[in-house]
Amino acid sequence: MIIESVASLMPVSPPVNRDAVLVRREALRGPYFRLTFRHEDVARSARPGQFVMIKAGTTADMPLRRPFSVLGVDPDEGTFDLFIKAIGEGSRGLAGLDPGDLAQCLGPLGRSFPDVPAGEEVLMVAGGYGIAPFLFLANDLRRDGKRGQVFYGGRNVMDLQLREAFAQIGTALTSATDDGSEGVHGRVTEPLLSYLDTVSHPVRLYSCGPDPMLVAVARIAQARGVPAWLSLDPWMGCGVGTCLGCVVPIQHAADENPKLRCACTEGPVFPADVVVLHGDEESAARRNGRESVIS
Amino acid sequence: MKFGVDVAGLALKNPLIAASGTFGYGVEYEGILDLSLLGGIVSKGLYLEARTGCPTPRIVETPAGLLNAIGLQGVGVRGFVREVLPRLAPYDTAVIVNVCGDTIDEYAEVTRIVDQAPGVAAVEINISCPNVKTGGIAFGTDPRMTHDVVAAVKKATLLPVIPKLSPNVTDITLFARVCEEAGADALSCVNTFLGLAIDVESRRPRLAFGTGGLSGPAIRPLAVRMVYQSVRAVRIPVIGIGGIATANDALEFLIAGARAVQVGTANFVDPAVYDRILAGLRDYLSRHGLSDINDVVGTLEYPS
Repeated sequence: MIIESVASLMPVSPPVNRDAVLVRREALRGPYFRLTFRHEDVARSARPGQFVMIKAGTTADMPLRRPFSVLGVDPDEGTFDLFIKAIGEGSRGLAGLDPGDLAQCLGPLGRSFPDVPAGEEVLMVAGGYGIAPFLFLANDLRRDGKRGQVFYGGRNVMDLQLREAFAQIGTALTSATDDGSEGVHGRVTEPLLSYLDTVSHPVRLYSCGPDPMLVAVARIAQARGVPAWLSLDPWMGCGVGTCLGCVVPIQHAADENPKLRCACTEGPVFPADVVVLHGDEESAARRNGRESVIS
Repeated sequence: MKFGVDVAGLALKNPLIAASGTFGYGVEYEGILDLSLLGGIVSKGLYLEARTGCPTPRIVETPAGLLNAIGLQGVGVRGFVREVLPRLAPYDTAVIVNVCGDTIDEYAEVTRIVDQAPGVAAVEINISCPNVKTGGIAFGTDPRMTHDVVAAVKKATLLPVIPKLSPNVTDITLFARVCEEAGADALSCVNTFLGLAIDVESRRPRLAFGTGGLSGPAIRPLAVRMVYQSVRAVRIPVIGIGGIATANDALEFLIAGARAVQVGTANFVDPAVYDRILAGLRDYLSRHGLSDINDVVGTLEYPS
């Protein structure tokens, strides 16, 4: 067990730490921004679901860097994009940068969503700013001629950003809002379930968003026998597995009890059937009673 | 310019050391920065066996600070010796092992294992972790227990022994002197300050453990004061720790009398912090017409 935990600390492909220039800032509706930074290493090697640790400025003073999922990359330009909701000290600092300003950026970090096998359709289930990895993924799917569509939920229409970007690349997107101000009036899992009722081809679920939505997606995946992966978003301090602040309970089929694992290095994407989400301990235990769908 | 310092026989190429609990086991930063840039690396606290630590949330940001209750999650000392030490061997940096225990016997046993391992430069004794129910701070806030654990660790090794003092005491000089009497070769000064952050909506602590240890720039003046007091109270060298993020921060501790410093929370903020601090120290020496960082140590002109 000791060997396993030490081995898990070793980086697979090291991320690169450097000052990144803000190239472009696009103010979206409300407190949302799309920011483009120059960082050749992230641009070249990031995969959908991976993230960067980033903060405005170049000092080592507080606040800590914040984790943001990569929204997209342009390897030719050496840039990557982030989707930011400017609501806290870290995100407001980034949104306040002007083109030419510097940010400290370490990335790409973490494990991406797995490659999609040919012939399978990915159902991307996003809540709020959990949409970020899916624009990246949708672009990759289109490039590779693979199938995917988005189910996008929020409290209201303001939460549903970037829909036109999916439309531009021809990715189908179904909206749902709690207040009915856009799309289906209700939870995003309702149109997802309706779609699952109709399909006969193989599908898989990738989800990113608030924990209650991830719990719902995990339960649907279990009930329908569909493989699913969840991107978790715990509070992170360092992004490289040293502060041990972002640990989440993970229970593989062979584990008697859940073990605390760093979401930054072993995630943030985990197979749904190994994640023990807050509020879902019981069904996680039930899921663990059966064979894992992930080998 | 000379940056090398000597801390009780512990030779460091420069006075910058990565603080325990903020740099993992060092290997996590391989490939992100050149570990040979550092004067030294202190490992995360090691017990005999692996530990799972505290429930989450474990960290919360506070004004200019970080409140944490990790609870010494980590691999056991044998796993560290077997798998981590060989990977640190190629780097030109001093490896200091932070030893923990629930009992004095465990501290001694962990130290004996470390003592037998190749590639260890010194032992730091964790008598100040505020986030464990036994051991840790319980040893560091009781002079009798502080004495006994330092003496036991000293007996278990020929390596330099460096107790890491808790700031959560009324008079830190009492503990500095007790450590010196018990045979300590140097002191690390200081660990985190016990704090409590409250979520007013739920009326619960923001950390799952309840209280936590406060680090970061918020504690720097407190730590500089405690280093200054400790330096005047003992003859053994003192290593300064507390919210260091820039060259000027490090210089405050050196001028107060610290022989070396540890960088903690700033590792999380910027893995390139050592480059920036070293460049700043170089600039400072040249601006002040100095050629040796040791000439800065203990030069505080305190008003009489």
